[in-house]
Amino acid sequence: MASNTKWDWEITNKTSYWGGSLKELWSYRQLLLSQVRRDFLLNYQQTVLGPVWILLQPIFTLITFVAVFYKMVGISTGGVPAVLFYFSGIVLWNFFNDSFGSTSFTFKENSQLFSKIYFPRIVMPLSVISTHFLRFLVQLILLVLIIIYYVLFRNFALPWHVWFFTFPVAIFFVGMIGLAMGLFFSVLTAKYRDMVNLVNLGLRLLMFVTPVIYPIGFVPEKVRWLVQINPLSPWFELFRLALLGEGTVTGFQLLYSTVFTVLALSGALLLFNKQGDKLIEVV
Amino acid sequence: MSEVVIEVENLSKLYRLGTIGTGSFRQDVQRWWTTSVLRKEDPFFQLQGEQNSKGKGEFLWALKDVNLEVRRGEITGIIGSNGSGKSTLLKIISRIIRPTQGAVRGKGKISSLLEVGTGFHYELSGRENIYNSGYILGMRKNEIQQKFDEIVAFSGIEKFIDTPVKRYSSGMYVRLAFAVAAHLEPEILIMDEVLAVGDADFQKKCLGKMKEVSQKDGRTILFVSHSMQAITNLCQKAVWLQQGRLREIGEASAVVNKYIVGVQRLWLQQSWDSPEEAPGNDYVRFKKVELIPHLPAPNMPIDIRTPLTIKFQFWNLMDNVSLNMGMDLFTFAGDCIFDVPSPSMVCQSGLVEGECTIPGNFLNDGSYYISLMVVKDTSVPLYYFEGCLSFDVEDYRRDTNWYDKWKGAVRPSFPFQINQPVLIS
Repeated sequence: MASNTKWDWEITNKTSYWGGSLKELWSYRQLLLSQVRRDFLLNYQQTVLGPVWILLQPIFTLITFVAVFYKMVGISTGGVPAVLFYFSGIVLWNFFNDSFGSTSFTFKENSQLFSKIYFPRIVMPLSVISTHFLRFLVQLILLVLIIIYYVLFRNFALPWHVWFFTFPVAIFFVGMIGLAMGLFFSVLTAKYRDMVNLVNLGLRLLMFVTPVIYPIGFVPEKVRWLVQINPLSPWFELFRLALLGEGTVTGFQLLYSTVFTVLALSGALLLFNKQGDKLIEVV
Repeated sequence: MSEVVIEVENLSKLYRLGTIGTGSFRQDVQRWWTTSVLRKEDPFFQLQGEQNSKGKGEFLWALKDVNLEVRRGEITGIIGSNGSGKSTLLKIISRIIRPTQGAVRGKGKISSLLEVGTGFHYELSGRENIYNSGYILGMRKNEIQQKFDEIVAFSGIEKFIDTPVKRYSSGMYVRLAFAVAAHLEPEILIMDEVLAVGDADFQKKCLGKMKEVSQKDGRTILFVSHSMQAITNLCQKAVWLQQGRLREIGEASAVVNKYIVGVQRLWLQQSWDSPEEAPGNDYVRFKKVELIPHLPAPNMPIDIRTPLTIKFQFWNLMDNVSLNMGMDLFTFAGDCIFDVPSPSMVCQSGLVEGECTIPGNFLNDGSYYISLMVVKDTSVPLYYFEGCLSFDVEDYRRDTNWYDKWKGAVRPSFPFQINQPVLIS
């Protein structure tokens, strides 16, 4: 056997932290797109209203939130109309919730497919998060329309400022935190089923320490740290600051959350690559 | 000789048996600590060595030290009984699971078909599924678009292409799924038993397609099958795995012959030493059942021309009874083809033996099993020994150009004449 033969690939028991090459991932871009398309088709197969559900779901949530938290409980939304305040929170939270929730079961839900064919496993969470990003964009357009309506007909004075241009940054970081946590938990849910409950419970509780239904400025000083250590908080505040002109955010918080996101995402990617090839035997 | 495109070197795969649960988190941490932090050998390999010597089966080598080379353009068949490690080998080469030791090295793009319909989704239409499945199997967009019509034509479901796949019959589903797979053009193709599904018609079509593709394009194929006929027809080389080890490797028909001699014969005979452990009841106990094929050479498989003799012995535990036998032949689907009675005879307690021969050129190709019945006074069934023998009959066609599935459970060669009456003009 000639030892100097050049091989294209080698399979051993060593798995790499770096996973496949970006070049390999690029060659699977069409698979990613087809998965996004598939998810859309599947979601609205045999439904009457079809894609309208993308909008109905946050609208119904909005009605509930306004009724419960604003009218009944009486949580202040600062100078921002309640509808705008809640809707911006709901839309961004949904994006995080879906990105995290659906990527954290990557191995569990695709075990049948993964056990029959190889492709870079990261394609699946990336396609899922792309699907949710597209849904989010549709909801974002609705949010912008509502804002315009309020400005034109409800005398909502939207202060013009340079922060406006930062809203894509907020969206990007919320998505990346969702992906990082999703990748991390996808490894855990594959190995330990208890994690499924933890993810579901954790998501529900996390919403209450994120400024979704209240502005961070209205949290009592004593417990404010609870909301502030949550790396999602500054992005929610920044998102509202950009689009609605009101939000409390400091440079330090943004820096803290950026560092957290970078570390979490690289850690999760490394873990996902390293474990991904072995997990199929334990799922 | 063409160049080596896959090299399998000392490949081993260890499985931990039983449920992974208690202690698995602790073991994970322990393993991570010793291998990653202390940079030592994996503690569970050593553990396994001790376990094996005690003969305790907590760990199982699904593959052990397998060495193998596949050359460009070769079709290699992999054979072996269930649990011999065939699928594990294919899964490792396909990058789905990792080996425990050893390495696989290769050149070129691999596509694997370990099931029919990978990436299919029941809710989507045939059209959507062709695309989705194509992408998952590693095809490119323009490749799928180019071959789309060909795929649809091959599957023969033109009319239903926009219907959700869940409304398809299972046959239609399999045909569409295979059609996508058959139009893959990887440098190396890996297939696991994909031909075991679908009707016989379609299986033949698929085999034909595979042969055509490999001959025309010189594609390298690795192929697991239980059909010895498919292996000898398609493959130049065969690999016989037995309990995770490489038993034989070489020219396909030679390996297949050895395999048939080594394994198939064992299924054709059952015997018991004492009446206590033998199957039966208070009246009769079977000592031996055996199927003897009358083959022209010992290394050949049973085919439709082969006469088969069924021999049996049983202990009769009664005195002065009139006994006769019944022999039932079933297809593997469970349809009874015939029920042949023996003449009756008055027997004393002790061994009774007998035999019956099924002539050659009578059965069709397929899988069959035999059940034997002992009857008293030609009316009272005493014991029914169900499925005591099973065997496969391979196809044989030399004098015909008919390549579709031959219909019927039997294929007897009755005297059959045709002629043209001489016309006096």
